Amino acid sequence: MRLAAAVIAGAVLGGVFFGAVFDPQALPFVGTERIYAVFLLDGQAYFGHLDDSPFSGTIVLRDIYYLNDATKITTDLPVGLVKRGGELHQPTDVMYIRRDKVLAIERITLTSPVGQAIATQRALDRATTAK
Amino acid sequence: MARSERDVTRRGRDIAIRIPRNAMVIVRVLVVVVVALGAIVGIGAIASANAPRTAANAAELQLQQGAAERDIERAYEQAADQVAKVRALNLAIGAAQADQIANRAITDLKTLRHSAFLKLAQEHGLSGADADAYAVSLEGRYTAAPVTKQPSPTPVLLAPRYYAVVSRMSELAIALTDQAVAQLTAPASQAPQPSPSPSGSARPTPTPTR
Repeated sequence: MRLAAAVIAGAVLGGVFFGAVFDPQALPFVGTERIYAVFLLDGQAYFGHLDDSPFSGTIVLRDIYYLNDATKITTDLPVGLVKRGGELHQPTDVMYIRRDKVLAIERITLTSPVGQAIATQRALDRATTAK
Repeated sequence: MARSERDVTRRGRDIAIRIPRNAMVIVRVLVVVVVALGAIVGIGAIASANAPRTAANAAELQLQQGAAERDIERAYEQAADQVAKVRALNLAIGAAQADQIANRAITDLKTLRHSAFLKLAQEHGLSGADADAYAVSLEGRYTAAPVTKQPSPTPVLLAPRYYAVVSRMSELAIALTDQAVAQLTAPASQAPQPSPSPSGSARPTPTPTR
């Protein structure tokens, strides 16, 4: 009897704890693609797939994109989306960000301009890979 | 066998195979922890590898492609327009030389635009003659209906591949234009003199003399 009560109490406490810590929508194998915007304290923003382990001092971003100033370029918008990896140091497709440097994390909608630009990039990647 | 002999044998056998109960518990816990960690890491890796990736459909691709085409054409038209405006000024250099500089700049800009359209064609899988035909058809279409005279479309945030092409096109068009403008607006002293002055003076008189 006592054992059963302890198990139930443990389950409830565990549920409360994990419910407070984890985003159910962030669980794997569930729902559509999840692209997050990570806004840093210095004003920079990165978009990509987020691994946010609550027990780590860093968050991990993969498949990373960021906005670039395009005021001198003849695009419709004064910003351009750039895929991270083409810089001089050609970083691999993973970024570890210190949690204390993060201002906000938002999930972006796939129909947003950023979401559509990323989806187009994938389609172009597939088109050129298929050739 | 005497009893004392049996005790010794058993004791010896016990010492050889005895594993403390605590050690067994620790080993079991370690095995469970290792298996659990492996499962977590494995599931994480599988989930990450199989995470859904959305790709644009044909309509979205067409929208982006059209926006990139317009942006390239806009870069060309703005650059060509700037060259034409500077050429229309009263320049220090001779008219023939100014025409030559302006025409060369426009030709370079057209070549640049053609290259940008070719690159755009390659980005969505065309190559060779198909890419060239695509570029030529776009040039014809935009010559007939310039972008600057068309209504402003819905703004599109370009995909990075398209953005890279447009960005490069804009940078090079600006560089070509700046070069042409610098040549067109060069002071007369730097420009080649058409012929020496009959009076032998390099500077013309401010008022005509009779």
